[in-house]
Amino acid sequence: MRLILNNLVAIYRKELHSYFASPFAYVLAGIFWLLAGVFFAAILLGPAGLLEQARNADLAASQGVRVAPFDVGYSFLQFFLGTLGSLALFMLPLLSMGLYTEERKRGTLELLATSPVTNWVVAVAKLLGVLTVFVTMVLPLLVYEAIVLNRASPPINPTVMIAGHGGLILLAAAVLSLGMFISSLTNSTILAAIGTFALVLFLWMIDVLGKNVGGALGEALSHLSLLKHYTNWVQGVVDTGSLVLFASYIGLGIFLTAQSIEALRFQRS
Amino acid sequence: MIQVEQLSKVYGTTPAIADVTFRVEPGEILGFLGPNGAGKTTTMRILAGYLPASSGTAKVAGYEVHEQSMAVRQRIGYLPESPPLYLDMTVAGFLQFVARIKGVPAGDSPDRVRTAMQRCGLSDKHQTLIRKLSKGYRQRVGIAQAIVHDPPVIILDEPTVGLDPRQIIEVRNLIKGLAGDHTVILSTHILPEVSMTCNRVAIINQGRIVATNTPDELMSRLTGGAGYELEVDGDITQAQQLLHRVAGVRSVEWLANGSRLKVVIEPSHPHVGQELARAIVQAGLGLQEMRRVQADLETVFLQLTTEDPTPSTAELATDAPTPDQPFEE
Repeated sequence: MRLILNNLVAIYRKELHSYFASPFAYVLAGIFWLLAGVFFAAILLGPAGLLEQARNADLAASQGVRVAPFDVGYSFLQFFLGTLGSLALFMLPLLSMGLYTEERKRGTLELLATSPVTNWVVAVAKLLGVLTVFVTMVLPLLVYEAIVLNRASPPINPTVMIAGHGGLILLAAAVLSLGMFISSLTNSTILAAIGTFALVLFLWMIDVLGKNVGGALGEALSHLSLLKHYTNWVQGVVDTGSLVLFASYIGLGIFLTAQSIEALRFQRS
Repeated sequence: MIQVEQLSKVYGTTPAIADVTFRVEPGEILGFLGPNGAGKTTTMRILAGYLPASSGTAKVAGYEVHEQSMAVRQRIGYLPESPPLYLDMTVAGFLQFVARIKGVPAGDSPDRVRTAMQRCGLSDKHQTLIRKLSKGYRQRVGIAQAIVHDPPVIILDEPTVGLDPRQIIEVRNLIKGLAGDHTVILSTHILPEVSMTCNRVAIINQGRIVATNTPDELMSRLTGGAGYELEVDGDITQAQQLLHRVAGVRSVEWLANGSRLKVVIEPSHPHVGQELARAIVQAGLGLQEMRRVQADLETVFLQLTTEDPTPSTAELATDAPTPDQPFEE
C-alpha cells in the first residue's frame, strides 16, 4: 500500500513537472485567462449584461413597478461558470492529448511497464496530475469572481459557490479521464486531441439528441449528457445521480486506459 | 539467476522466437548475439516482463516473469533499444524518479542516484536537461536508469549502439564492472563486443539459439583454430595439392579471385608456416603473399547463422573459373 502511494506520488510529480516545464501549458493558460476575461467583461458590462439588467430592475422598482428581485451574484455565477465549462471543452482535450501519446512516442511507456507499478496507478496519477494543472489554471479566475461577489447583494449562497466549482472540477476530471483513454490509443498527439474533442462534443450535445429521440431511450441518452449535469451543479443542485454519472465517466476513463495499455503488450510494436 | 525454458513468441502467425532455452548464472555476463531481427529484443522484452510469451517459461531470480511480474520488475534493470527518457527532466531528476517508481526507499535514493551517475560518468551533467544531452550521454542516462535501484539482474538491449569508439570502451568497462554483484544479459550485433565483455555468449538466429558457450571455446570448437592465406603464382591446383600434403594442414580452400588459397591448420600444429612456404617454393611456384589468418568470432557467427552449410564456397560461386570445393582426400 505504501509502495503504491509512493509510486502514485512519484508519477504525479513527474506529470506536474512535465506540464510546468513546457511552454505549452503557459500559452494555453494565457489564452484561457484572456478568453475568460473577455467573457467576464461581456457578462457584466455588455449591452445585455448583468449590470444593465440590474440597473433596469432598480429603475423599475423606483418607479413602483413590482418586479422579481434581481440576484446579480447568482446570475453572474451561472453565466460565468457556464462559460468556463464551454471554454474547458476546448481546452481540456489539449491538456489530455499528450498524457500517453508522448510516453508512447518516447518509449518511456516501456520504462513504466517494466517498473513495479500497475497501469492503474499510472493512470490515476496522470489524471490527478493533469487535473491539478487545470485547477491551477482556474484558480486565478477566482479573482474575477471575488470582484463581483464580495459586493453582491444579496450575498451569494456558499453552497451554490462550492457546488458550482465542484461541478467544474468533476466535469474537467470526466473529460480528462476520457481524453486520457483516447491518448492511450495512439502515438499522434493531434489525433488524440481531435478524437477527445469529438467525443466530448458528442457527450455535451447528447442532451439535444435525446430530446429528439424521445421515449425511454431519449431519456437515457439525455441522462448521459455532460452539459445537463454540469448545469445542475452550477445551479446549486447537487444530486447523487449527477455525482454518480461524473464518477462513472472518470472511472470508465481510468479503466479503459489501464486496459488499453495492457493490450499494448500484446501488439506487435 | 535467469532460467529460460523453451520460450516461444508468435506475433500473429510469424514466430519471433522458438524454443529458446538458456540459463545465466549469478554474477555472469551473457552476451546475446545475432543479426538484426533474430529475436534478441523480443527475448529481452519477455525477460523484462514487457511482453508475454506465447509458450514456455522464463524465470528471473526465481520468479516467473509473467505470473509474478511485479516481483520480477523490482529485481531487474532494463534498458530498451532506445533509452526511455523524459527529455524535459534533468539527469538527476529523472534518475530520482526512476528510483522512486522502482521502489527505492526515499531515504536511500539520493545516494543511489549519486552512485549511478558516478558509475556512468554523469556526475558533471546532473543538472543538465536530458533534451540537451548528446546521444552518447543519453545512452549513459539509459544505463544509469537501469542500475539506479541496484537490481540483481540487468538487461541491456544494445547498450553501445550509437556511441563513439571512446564511449563504447567506457560503456564496456562499466558493464564489466557490473559483473559479480549483478547478473547481466546484453544483446548486440557487434561481434568484438561479446568477446570483450561477456563470460558467455548465446548466438541467436531466426528466433533460435544456435550455440551457447564461452567466446573462446566457441571460436576454437567451431573454426578449429587459425590458418594461412596465400597468393600463389603458377598452377594453383598443383599448389593446392602440395599444401594439402604438408603435415598439420586440415584443408586447403580455393578463394575467389583465382590465385589465393586458404589453408586451415590443425590446432596441434600451430607453426606450419615455414613448411607451407617451402612446399610452394620448392615446387618452383611463386609465392606473392602469405599471411596468418586469425579465426574470429565473425567466422563462427557466419558459420552458425548462414543457412548454407559452407558459406565460404557459396560466396564465391559466381566467378569463372569455377573453384573446387575444399580439397579433401
